[in-house]
Amino acid sequence: MDWEKEIQKLKVCDFEELPGPKSKEELEEMKMPFEDYCKRVFDPGNEFVKPEALKGIRWMSTTMYIFTPHSVANLAELGAECIKIEMPRMGDPMRHTSPFNEAYLYPLHDTRPMTGTGLGFTNANVNEYFITLDYHVPEAKPIFYNLVKMSDGLTECYRHGTFDRWKQGYRHVMEINPRFIYVWGGGFGYGPKIFGGSYDILGQAHAGLASITGCHEDMGGHATKATNWVIDWYSGTQITVAILAALYWRGKTGLGTMIEFSQVQAATRMMGYAAPLYGRFGIVRQRWGNWDTQLCVHGIIMTGKVDFPDAQNPQDRFESRYVMVSAFQDADFQELCNVIKKPDLYSRYKTHKERVGAPAQIEIYKAIEDWAADKTRSEVVRILREAGILAAPVMNDREVYECEHYRLRGTVRWNDDPLFGDILIHSGYSTGLMSKTPRRHRWQWRPVGADNVKIYHELLGYPMSKIQELYDKNII
Amino acid sequence: MCDIIWCKKDLGDGKVCDTVNYLDPYCFWNWEGKVACAHCGTVYYIHMIQGHMYAGPDEKPGEKPDIYPLYADQPNNGYFNYLPGIEGRTRPYTCLPRHIYLGKADMVKFSIRGRPVRGWRPQPPSAGIAGSQGFFWDIEKLSPEVWEEYQERIRKGEVKDW
Repeated sequence: MDWEKEIQKLKVCDFEELPGPKSKEELEEMKMPFEDYCKRVFDPGNEFVKPEALKGIRWMSTTMYIFTPHSVANLAELGAECIKIEMPRMGDPMRHTSPFNEAYLYPLHDTRPMTGTGLGFTNANVNEYFITLDYHVPEAKPIFYNLVKMSDGLTECYRHGTFDRWKQGYRHVMEINPRFIYVWGGGFGYGPKIFGGSYDILGQAHAGLASITGCHEDMGGHATKATNWVIDWYSGTQITVAILAALYWRGKTGLGTMIEFSQVQAATRMMGYAAPLYGRFGIVRQRWGNWDTQLCVHGIIMTGKVDFPDAQNPQDRFESRYVMVSAFQDADFQELCNVIKKPDLYSRYKTHKERVGAPAQIEIYKAIEDWAADKTRSEVVRILREAGILAAPVMNDREVYECEHYRLRGTVRWNDDPLFGDILIHSGYSTGLMSKTPRRHRWQWRPVGADNVKIYHELLGYPMSKIQELYDKNII
Repeated sequence: MCDIIWCKKDLGDGKVCDTVNYLDPYCFWNWEGKVACAHCGTVYYIHMIQGHMYAGPDEKPGEKPDIYPLYADQPNNGYFNYLPGIEGRTRPYTCLPRHIYLGKADMVKFSIRGRPVRGWRPQPPSAGIAGSQGFFWDIEKLSPEVWEEYQERIRKGEVKDW
């Protein structure tokens, strides 16, 4: 047999005629610059033409506030079908919070025309479907169980054991759906403080994080809570990590998992070396403010003049005067000392070991701030950068909004929300890019019970008359 | 910031009104007018500038009040109180977004780049069965006056991309 001829017959195309490089050298030649490659594969703004990693996963969210809802929002941004279940007519309490009670989007529900959803709700329930169900009344149980049967998992945030008491905890739902992944997220978890609730501030305080945030009392500081609810956002993300691992495990074993997530416990992970330090020396870690305990110079300094003295916004007018500086390598530090005209400082602290000590840091940072006392923030940044030292302004929200870097990468962008109009968002677009299955943002939230018909009728198959009856009884 | 009018009006029979009338911070930041005591109805004239009581409170017998206090209580009488929204005594608290200095209700209809955002109330009812909502805000149909304003902004070139 003439194999050559046979192969030619079987061929559907010719390699030589195919587009693309024909040799390693040609391949190298044809490669686009890395910057262009990144732009092309991530392609911010065109996320919706790509597949979703978690499509096919259905998740229930009987959650409130930020911490546990955020664990589900992460799934929803990655493509899971997430159903937020709220109390009829009221919704998540977080809907009723807004910065200084002033920024709301309407409507919340037709029966409450003067009530809106506050911007406090932002980013915690993205892309979800919103239904209502008063699931702890007996008449609602079959509906709840039906949803469990058709879902992959649930996140809840009630006091520990409440769902168990209501016969909808893990021990009950696993009998209905053994593949079910069940997440409890709350304050302390089982143990001596099982009945304690949780808030972000409790996490920051109880885990010790607030004790090491802010300036030392000797410098006029106090234990400080980060203004935003960092532990809520962080813990929610950690739950999502656990859910993804549980999904992977279920893929191998076919079995669900119970995830029990204590918020105060999660915050201890952010304490860095605090525990081993205490364990080794009996020393309790202290606050070190805007400086660093391991690196020097590596902190935030204050300049004498602001960048925008005539601005209307106080954050611009009074606070545009902080600069982050990093020059802990010997050569960088030497250059920094030359720039601030303190070469003697370098001769005294030539090694990092000498600089990183507390008294040395106090002297060094004071010298830098003395030098910056007659300069604006942008002058300081320019001078240091020209000297090859890493320096960056501490930016506020407006500057982040106007920053070209974020616009180019799609980190901050305008979204024409299908129900609420023009909203500036970051949400999923700030959490890292994925070339094949990027996160995407469809809507921030929907009104209370907006998807009752979609879920109860289209998914669970209840007739419309039944839905109306449940609605009239305040069960949904 | 919340100022008060502590009414000490003699009600006769040795009784004193002794009611603390709480004024809503935003309305009274820059404000001149008359407020009635929630308990005895005595009308007081006040003039506030930048949150400071510039003039008053001065009694204005026989005159009609412009506004009622938000809330009132009697600390020396077991904190007996009048909650917001009691007709003829206190006014309702409606959480209207306000201008930070002028206290004027300022509900947002357009984002900073000039496109419509649903930040005002009341919104016309738009839900179907059991509170269900579609996936599209038909602004042209539901709020034609805002739609018109938006078209005007487009014509004037006030709508931007960023």
